[in-house]
Amino acid sequence: MDPIPTDDGGGVPGVEGLGLRGSGNTKPTPPTESPRTLLTRRTIVLSFWTIVLCLGLPHWLWTTSTYRASLPLSTMNDWAEGKACDLRFAFPIHLRVLGWTREEMVDLGGNLSVLLGHDGSDGLLDFTFHVGNAVEEPPLPAHRDPALTVVLNAADLPDTYEVASRLEPGESTLRLGSGMSQAGEILDQIRKITAPQQEALAYLLSGTPFAATEHEALQMTRNMRSEASLDARNTRAFKPSTTYHLSFSLFVSGNEPSAWAIEDALAAYVTPLLSALSGVSKFTVTTQVQLHASFSPSIAGPTFDEASREWKLRKEDLSGFVNAAEWPLSPSIGEGSTINFVLYVPAPGHSPLVVADTGGTGWLVPQWGGVAILNLDGPTTQPKPAIDTDLATLTITDLDEIILTFADQLTALIGLPSSPAGSLALRIAALQRERATALLLSTASTLGALSRLVHKLPNIPIPDTVATSVGTSLRHLDLACQDLGVGRYAKTDTNLGALGNAQAASEASEKAFFEPSMVGQVYFPDEHKVAVYVPLLGPMGVPLVLAGVKELLGLYRGMREKVKGT
Amino acid sequence: MKLAQLLILPATLLSAVLAIPEYSEHLHLRPLPNGYLYAGFNFTASTSLSAYESQHFRYFPRSLGQILQHSHTKELHLRFALGRWDDESWGSRPRDGKREGGTGVEIWAWLDSGGGKPAVEERWSSLVNSLSGLFCASLNFIDRTKTTRPVLSFEPEGTHRGGGDGMELLHGTLPHEVVCTENLTPFLKLLPCKGKAGISSLLDGHKVFDANWQTMSIDVRPVCHVGEECRLEIQQTVDIVLDIERSMRPRNDPIPRPRPVEELECDESKSYHASDTCYPRRKEGEMAWSLSQIFGTPVRGSCHVADGDESPDVSLEISPDRAVEVLHSGSNETLMSDAQDQRLRVYRLSDSGKYTDISLIQQIIQEAPHQEQPPLYASRQITGFGQERGGMHAVLHNPHTYPQRIVYLESLPWFLRPYMHTLKVLSHPTTSHDQPATPVKPDKMFYTPALDRKRGTHLELLLTIPAQSTVELTYDFDKAILRYTEYPPDANRGFDVAPAIIRVLPLNSNSTAGNGKTQDSYLRTTSLLLPLPTPDFSMPYNVIILTSTVIALGFGSIFNLLVRRFVLAEEVPRSALAVRVAGVMGKVRGWVRSLKGRMRGGGDGGGRAVGGAGEAAGGAGGMNGISGVAESRKER
Repeated sequence: MDPIPTDDGGGVPGVEGLGLRGSGNTKPTPPTESPRTLLTRRTIVLSFWTIVLCLGLPHWLWTTSTYRASLPLSTMNDWAEGKACDLRFAFPIHLRVLGWTREEMVDLGGNLSVLLGHDGSDGLLDFTFHVGNAVEEPPLPAHRDPALTVVLNAADLPDTYEVASRLEPGESTLRLGSGMSQAGEILDQIRKITAPQQEALAYLLSGTPFAATEHEALQMTRNMRSEASLDARNTRAFKPSTTYHLSFSLFVSGNEPSAWAIEDALAAYVTPLLSALSGVSKFTVTTQVQLHASFSPSIAGPTFDEASREWKLRKEDLSGFVNAAEWPLSPSIGEGSTINFVLYVPAPGHSPLVVADTGGTGWLVPQWGGVAILNLDGPTTQPKPAIDTDLATLTITDLDEIILTFADQLTALIGLPSSPAGSLALRIAALQRERATALLLSTASTLGALSRLVHKLPNIPIPDTVATSVGTSLRHLDLACQDLGVGRYAKTDTNLGALGNAQAASEASEKAFFEPSMVGQVYFPDEHKVAVYVPLLGPMGVPLVLAGVKELLGLYRGMREKVKGT
Repeated sequence: MKLAQLLILPATLLSAVLAIPEYSEHLHLRPLPNGYLYAGFNFTASTSLSAYESQHFRYFPRSLGQILQHSHTKELHLRFALGRWDDESWGSRPRDGKREGGTGVEIWAWLDSGGGKPAVEERWSSLVNSLSGLFCASLNFIDRTKTTRPVLSFEPEGTHRGGGDGMELLHGTLPHEVVCTENLTPFLKLLPCKGKAGISSLLDGHKVFDANWQTMSIDVRPVCHVGEECRLEIQQTVDIVLDIERSMRPRNDPIPRPRPVEELECDESKSYHASDTCYPRRKEGEMAWSLSQIFGTPVRGSCHVADGDESPDVSLEISPDRAVEVLHSGSNETLMSDAQDQRLRVYRLSDSGKYTDISLIQQIIQEAPHQEQPPLYASRQITGFGQERGGMHAVLHNPHTYPQRIVYLESLPWFLRPYMHTLKVLSHPTTSHDQPATPVKPDKMFYTPALDRKRGTHLELLLTIPAQSTVELTYDFDKAILRYTEYPPDANRGFDVAPAIIRVLPLNSNSTAGNGKTQDSYLRTTSLLLPLPTPDFSMPYNVIILTSTVIALGFGSIFNLLVRRFVLAEEVPRSALAVRVAGVMGKVRGWVRSLKGRMRGGGDGGGRAVGGAGEAAGGAGGMNGISGVAESRKER
């Protein structure tokens, strides 16, 4: 079967005709086309193409394009790469020397500054010294509280003070005895207090792009030993959140006790801690009583140890002790994480129940909460009374030790640093600093991820809300960075402070990143588009393209002929 | 009436005398005609409002309490239901139908209306979404199209500050939802004893959802008594009607199979009785049953956790002549009738000991079981044919000798578009059929028309049903055509239409007919299946292909006519491509020919190779042929 001859160069018969005429008279050639017909045909093809290109294509692009609000990508990348902010932590120290004149104090302050500047080992914290006695006007600019107040009691007689240095538990004050009036000694004390803070901040920054700007300072403060403990602290603690829901649950394996004096116990041991922590996060408290709580089938269960006459819970079973399938420990509603505290009262037949190796009755579940076992004095010896109110209700004396343990676990779960041990106020201030830093870092990386996502997936739509959220986030990031630099950590009435700004920035960035309308569009497949467009545009496109190509070829050959002819 | 009294007993009578115990539970059993057993479980827990507001939960479930607080819900009613209550043979509904729901899931709640309509809608959406997670039900699909705001049908059960001002009632239904074990498990988790002790240990998904009729309810309401602190009460009920014979199937052989012929009990008096024909003999007397046989397990322990709870756990409403035995820790005990009510046996589970069982033997009782007549019989159907329009037809039958006022509520999906001008309410007496039907004028009518994809229809009628007569309510409707993405995966099944809810209003106390009820009662019709025109779901692609074909025919030929040049077929020059292909073909042919010559020398088997080469050549020619089709029909 011979192929049917095709008319490839039909548009330029003159050229073909010339070639064929030379080969002989065997095949007739089509007559030469008049330039007028040629022009008409070319105009037709051109007008079709004009309509397609000027009307069809823009229309198609306009109707199928996804809306992408413009994002400040370069600023976002700057944050992600750590270029946008030079992380410094101002640490203003207020120096008061009882019994000295102002000039002497200024002298001491100058000495301290010189000493600090001399060895240059102040790490990430920017120490500044301000002097003045309480009676005078505040030595610091408005809205800036000292991170540490050092009170040197120089007027003391050497034999009247008991300790050389002492931290106030409720406020960030370091009291020094008169034996420490030398600048070097004072500096050593301050360094001792701030060293854990330096390490913690260095730990947070290590491995992030922000570390590059602080390279030397970081190297100096990093320490393998402390890093391990910081690692442990970090894995235990919950993610920073504006709200924590504390849920205290009493799980009883049988019917009794079915009530507990939890309100009184919480008021005595937990509420004061929560009010101290109110500058860091909001806390809500719920309590519940759950009867007939059985062990999870996934654990082996306690075994009776004859020697100590105790029920032992194997260490491997601790992770599965909380029966997540049956115990109603659903997270609280609303924003924020839920911290669970579970008090388990074993059945009288299984009491006393202890952890096998340590003999302890409580443990902490990292990023989840705390568990404690309360072994009531077993009614195994005396017969159980019919209705015993003592047994049915746990009194505050039964609970105080456990609630204290829970309060201690709570500090670990929200990541409160354990040092400086003497002062809760200093620990909370340190936590605020760390929180603000951690939130700032995570926000920066979220923004970086969003920027990469937008770059990588050109198909996803970006609604205006995302752009607004990103803008809010960036604004708060800048404010947080400034606040860190000037030492405005805590929230005040007029200012969010570094922590507040970092929280706001983090929330806004998460909102932008998890925008649901963006997530939904990611999976709109290209195959689908091809399946729709090819049948729709193919029948129109193929004749148009072929005609266009043919005319162009003809035009090209005609021009070549003309060039040859001349 | 006894049943209703008894169930109200813990809630009203007892609480009037004593303070409400923090938790109480109750199981009511009543054999129904034809071998059925009604079992009504009731669990009531309460907490003081101050403890609730400060989130200290004891017997009130924390998970539910937090949801209610978060969504500012003042009163909540949630129903999960399956099956149909056969009121022709079973009589009036338990608890006056107040703890009953329409098939599927039904929820209505009074929400704090502070903040205006958007705030209420936000709260409603947060409530249904949270409950959806808690009960593993598709409650989150109750959106604006499935939510109505009834005016007359519901009234708050609790005592609310300000007499119910500042609250808004919203009502949503999911008739398509299939209630199953995954809804019962969270329901049991809300109980203090969690189905591990007390009467809740009888609740097993296999039995509850094997019932002929089943409804689970959760009702939260504030209860205030004079001189006491207000309390928030949660009442959970499970009402089931079990086929005794079916539920007593042994556990190891749960598959129903035909009985061997020898075991069949046939009515030998029938004329057609033969060795291969059997008319089952009517059961004589009452069947023997026990709790452990019906529920698969006896009652485990007891759940007496609250002080001041001395009420009996189990009550049986049964003929005084029947012998009832209680098996408890190895000892038998005959349960005697209650001193006050001969028809009632009550039993309080003992705190000690493990298992308690109640068993009845087969007995022939002469006295016919007492049956309370329901206030109203109601049924509803879709009439008409075709996929375009249809009609609704509801029949309400009042068997009593006094007229009754009712509220008839329908919430229809938006794709069912009723024509209210076709609404006809006709009444005709049941006693004589030849009398003409008289139209009944509704006393009040509330109608919210549907908006496509935004709101469903809400129709509420206040009617008076004359004594001993049947009222027929009809109207016509159109079926909407949905977008193809709006169909569920099982599109040909049809769409469920929520049951109509009928509230029978109490008679006025000064009414002449003294035997009417003083409390209102509810009944619901069955849900309906509405077949909608179902499209072919490959339609969009078919449309694309069809359009493309039309374009290819129309545009292609017109364009070609415009731009092609027409010459004689002989004048068509050979294209460069064709020349090249012909060259390749000639080479292939030569190669094949030489191969053939060699094969002929080597034996047979060459035929296949030739055929293959021929095919290849043909294919190449065919390809060329296609590209030249336009040119092959040349004319001057």
